[in-house]
Amino acid sequence: MAETERPGGRPLSPHLFIYRPMLTMIMSILHRATGAALYLGTGLLAWFLLAASIDVTAFETASWFLRSIYGQAVLLGFTWALMQHFLGGLRHALWDRGVWMDHPQREWLAQATLWGGLALTALAWALAWLMG
Amino acid sequence: MESKDTLRTQRSRVGRLGASRSGTGDNARMRMTSIALVPLTVAFMVMVLDLVSKDYNAVRSYLGHPLPALLMLLFIGAGVLHMQIGMKAIIEDYVHGPHLKEAALTANVFFAVSAGLACAYAVLRIGFA
Repeated sequence: MAETERPGGRPLSPHLFIYRPMLTMIMSILHRATGAALYLGTGLLAWFLLAASIDVTAFETASWFLRSIYGQAVLLGFTWALMQHFLGGLRHALWDRGVWMDHPQREWLAQATLWGGLALTALAWALAWLMG
Repeated sequence: MESKDTLRTQRSRVGRLGASRSGTGDNARMRMTSIALVPLTVAFMVMVLDLVSKDYNAVRSYLGHPLPALLMLLFIGAGVLHMQIGMKAIIEDYVHGPHLKEAALTANVFFAVSAGLACAYAVLRIGFA
């Protein structure tokens, strides 16, 4: 995507960097990026569940990693990715039905996705801390 | 003869026409899994919060009960189909070249199926062990 020449030496016209970053555009990019991150995160879920299904040792290893600083960072990232992607999905569901696609409603929806995602992440972690 | 895919003409079904050859099915499945995942993700988050404080035996006991187990299995099933279609779209957009694209799409299906099966196996093993 960073190439500026096509095979044959002909230039590629600007197609990516000419756009000013708009919130709706960023939300769209994040929707795809969080989706990809969650895709990979399934591996982590599989690890945890398999560990719980095998024996104590396997479970303690998985548990130790998840409680470590790296594990906590990964979990925090995945929580946010899930919340962001979830709210983004709701946004797309509304847009599929033609709801709030006009300006400025789509901007509000994009804002709600962003701040809602962060708020839900904070809420989830607060609850986890209270319950753990 | 009744057509199951109402968004396609008979000719397009037979001739595998349309730029991506197939997509209506993916589209429908994406929308269905997305709807299913709204309540299922909420359920998943509730279960995760419940599991945070639990040790090995408590986790096994929790996931051994039918309701958490079934919700987890449904979440995994819908999630895996959802993610396979989503990643397929990403690969189709960014991966080019005749063999690389095919390989990536195949790897996508294999990963999705493997991850789903691993999670499902684990839940069932806990339940029946």
